[in-house]
Amino acid sequence: MKNTIFRPEVHRRIAYAWVLGVIALLIALMVVLPNSHLNSSVMALLPKEHIENVPPALEEGFNQRLDRQLVWLISPPQPDDQAPVLWWQQQLKQMAAFSNTSGQMSADHQQQWGKFFFDNRYALLDSATQQRLAGDASAQSDWILSQIYSPFSGISAKELNNDPLLTMRSAQITQQQNNRTLQLNNGWLTSKDPQGRTWYLLHGELNTSSYDIQSARQTVKKLDQLKQLVAQKWPGTQVLQRGTLFYSDYASQQAQQDMSTIGSVSGLGIIILILLVFRSLKPLWLTLLSLTIGAISGSVAVFILFGEVHVMTLVMSTSVVGISIDYALHYLTERMVHGEDESALVSMKKLFPALLLAVISSSIAYLLLFIAPFPGLQQLAIFAAAGLTGAFLTVICWYPWLSRRLPVRKTLRLGFIHRWLFYWQNGKAFRIGIPLIALLISVAGFIQLKTDDDIRKLQTLPPEFQQQDRQIAALTGQHSDQKWLMVYGESPEQTLQRLESLESALNTAKQSGWLNGYRFLPFPSEQQQQKNIALIKQQAPEIIHRLQQAGINTTLPSFEQPTVKPQNWLNSVASEGWQLLWLSLDNGQSAVLVPVEGVTNPVALKQMANSHSGTHWVDKHTEFSTLFSVYRQHLTTLLGISVLIIGVLFLWRFGIKQGLRCIIPTILSLGVALSVLSLSGQSLNLFSLLALILVLGIGIDYTLFFSNPAGTPSTSMLSILLAALTTELSFGLLAASGTQAISGFGLVLSGGIFAAFILSPLALPERTTPEKIS
Amino acid sequence: MKHFFWLFASFITSAFLLLSQTASAVTLDDLQQRFSHQPVLRAQFEQQRTISGMSQPLKSNGNVLIAKAHGLIWNQTKPFPLILMMNETRMEQRMAGQPPQVITADNNPQMFRFNSILTALFHADRKALEQNFNLQFSYLGKGNWQLILQPTTTPLDKLFRQITLNGSEFLNEIQINDMQDDSTHIRFFDQTTTPTALTPDEKHHFSS
Repeated sequence: MKNTIFRPEVHRRIAYAWVLGVIALLIALMVVLPNSHLNSSVMALLPKEHIENVPPALEEGFNQRLDRQLVWLISPPQPDDQAPVLWWQQQLKQMAAFSNTSGQMSADHQQQWGKFFFDNRYALLDSATQQRLAGDASAQSDWILSQIYSPFSGISAKELNNDPLLTMRSAQITQQQNNRTLQLNNGWLTSKDPQGRTWYLLHGELNTSSYDIQSARQTVKKLDQLKQLVAQKWPGTQVLQRGTLFYSDYASQQAQQDMSTIGSVSGLGIIILILLVFRSLKPLWLTLLSLTIGAISGSVAVFILFGEVHVMTLVMSTSVVGISIDYALHYLTERMVHGEDESALVSMKKLFPALLLAVISSSIAYLLLFIAPFPGLQQLAIFAAAGLTGAFLTVICWYPWLSRRLPVRKTLRLGFIHRWLFYWQNGKAFRIGIPLIALLISVAGFIQLKTDDDIRKLQTLPPEFQQQDRQIAALTGQHSDQKWLMVYGESPEQTLQRLESLESALNTAKQSGWLNGYRFLPFPSEQQQQKNIALIKQQAPEIIHRLQQAGINTTLPSFEQPTVKPQNWLNSVASEGWQLLWLSLDNGQSAVLVPVEGVTNPVALKQMANSHSGTHWVDKHTEFSTLFSVYRQHLTTLLGISVLIIGVLFLWRFGIKQGLRCIIPTILSLGVALSVLSLSGQSLNLFSLLALILVLGIGIDYTLFFSNPAGTPSTSMLSILLAALTTELSFGLLAASGTQAISGFGLVLSGGIFAAFILSPLALPERTTPEKIS
Repeated sequence: MKHFFWLFASFITSAFLLLSQTASAVTLDDLQQRFSHQPVLRAQFEQQRTISGMSQPLKSNGNVLIAKAHGLIWNQTKPFPLILMMNETRMEQRMAGQPPQVITADNNPQMFRFNSILTALFHADRKALEQNFNLQFSYLGKGNWQLILQPTTTPLDKLFRQITLNGSEFLNEIQINDMQDDSTHIRFFDQTTTPTALTPDEKHHFSS
């Protein structure tokens, strides 16, 4: 096959076929691009592991909804001066980015609230009244009397007439007992900090996803302006904010910054390198051509498979550039040195086995990333494999034709390369000394190596974000650590009944100290509502009788009340602050969240959830960290097995002596890569392991080029030098990324590739008779 | 309703502590200045609530204890036993056969806001009181005095028409007229400031 495809007439046909292929790719790109989008959510990088049995639509519905929520706490310089808060609320209302904003409740609003509770007071009986009614009638009548006689209760004749059983009063007291930190203050929800400042709560819901980069940027910009304005108008006003919007905007800003700096620096470096070596513009256009086609192939593959590309994938993809450029450089170097001795097709024929092995080994290394169920990495794997193949095909098919008039630089001064190879081939000091040093570095690094799978370490948010988040958690009692129980059912009624059956377990959990508190949707199921009405109806005559005996002038009220439908409750002001926790689909499937805080025993809570039907314990951070740890271990095993297989293959193919010479640089490059990571103070995580796999896949190319019997060592060395330089220019710069996951990835890769480059000449056979340095 | 509750509760505490030890005061400032650190006051009370539309007034009686370091215990014995305990951080209502009804400063800071206004009295902070009420103090001769408070701020003005305190050596009477034409009259008698130590029973009420 190898011989036939390099016959000129066959090769020409193949080249034309690739032209058609590229045209097809371009058309495909134009078709898929308008329907694709850029994703910047850190969460989107994580596996979309659906909770068992929970309808995915419910889960996604909640995730999407939570992503859109924004909360502000505004503290005016004077506690009672609402002007800046009102101003802020007005500004939010004017912004098109929000579909819904809330802040001050009007007096009318509060009245509606009271009316709703009054109209449904028997159906929505509070837990304290339920408990009193559970015994005999005296419990409730005694309690009513205590309220009437207490000098502190302020009961009026009007209240007694309207609600002789005082169910409204009890509901209010119960509600106040449940409200921990926020209180209603002139229609505002407010909270006081230990320094005595009053904070006003405002809330907004975005129209579009927080991850829509452009609209997110505009909204954040506008909000920043508002913050400045409010501080100018009312000096001393403080604003705290929370929302996925801010995190995702920060992440995408940083990724874009990374992409533009890393991309431009590495691009510029590569251009200078090519111009320096080839002294011609042609190789520049050629490499650019193969890179572009590679990028198109990669994008088409990713868009077709995923429909979107993640910002992080894009950043990491710049590194693929550094590898795909290698194929072009290998061929162009060959042509530059041997352009006068051999035909373009002969050069290609000579390099083909090494190039093919290189593209296969790198693609396999990247595709191994696909095993980990992380969408961002899977995208990278596909992008790289398709991109490398595209670039490879371009080099193989077109370069022999396009590189025809490439200037030959026989006079290229390769003295240092010859000297370097000479020492490797002849000096025991090099052949033993350098690997020994690498071994020492590896051991030193290995001793200090720590692992850390905490997902939060992957992206360090700026301290002011964390500070604000802590402050908001303290002021509102609402934490952002995304720990909750999710209860779902096939209908709203089933969901609510399941929720009710969980309440006593939650109470026990709180008493056992497994958690500090929870927010429980204050809306009973239809079944419970009917029970409530029946209960009070049954007890009421006796209660009224006892009150009359005690001298209270009262009569039996009517209990004709319909039950409240979930939708009516949701549409009423009574569900204010609770709507976010409830989700109902068109088909009736519904779910409710029970956020918990101060969790000390997640295992027990998980068990508790498992023992209730339709109930799940959700703790995203821990889940993901566990997942990271599991896949890090999987990949470690995978890496070990790969090294073992490669080692056995080399030993079988090349014999023990040469086989060892080929495998030792590879193993040592992995060791040095790890050591660079640990010596720079970072710890081992999933991302560093992915980088190690790439070090294996790319580093092995270098030894393969030296083992290629058809290659000239000095030409191989030159092209490997160029390849390593371009790889370092792209990967090495990733180490400078502001996102920790990426910088750790870059660090391991650049360290490993550097070591692989330095050690690769070991694969050259040792010369028994010293040769003169040319 | 809850404002009423808390205001009143705080008010009684403060009024007792402020006014109980003043024998020959002539001005409100004098009352405040003569505020001494008597740690404990015990008294009997008789309460009559007149609720419009109710054929007869509701009468109750019992005893009250105010300990400066602990708070107030309102111990109603008739017509049925009912104990109310309150201090700066919590308020608890206890009656036989029922779990206590607890309201704390943590779960309802708003209820405790009025408390802080009124505890200003402890520190002779007449200004804080005047921000919320119109004060009218009159010396009636022979050691008798009267203090009339008329609320000036919302929501107090929506709840009360007027609060009247009468006393001589101790606070003897509180008359509350609210906006719904209901009224509460409380008479205190048998006031003593000794013994200053709490009995184990009293201590028990304050604990928990």
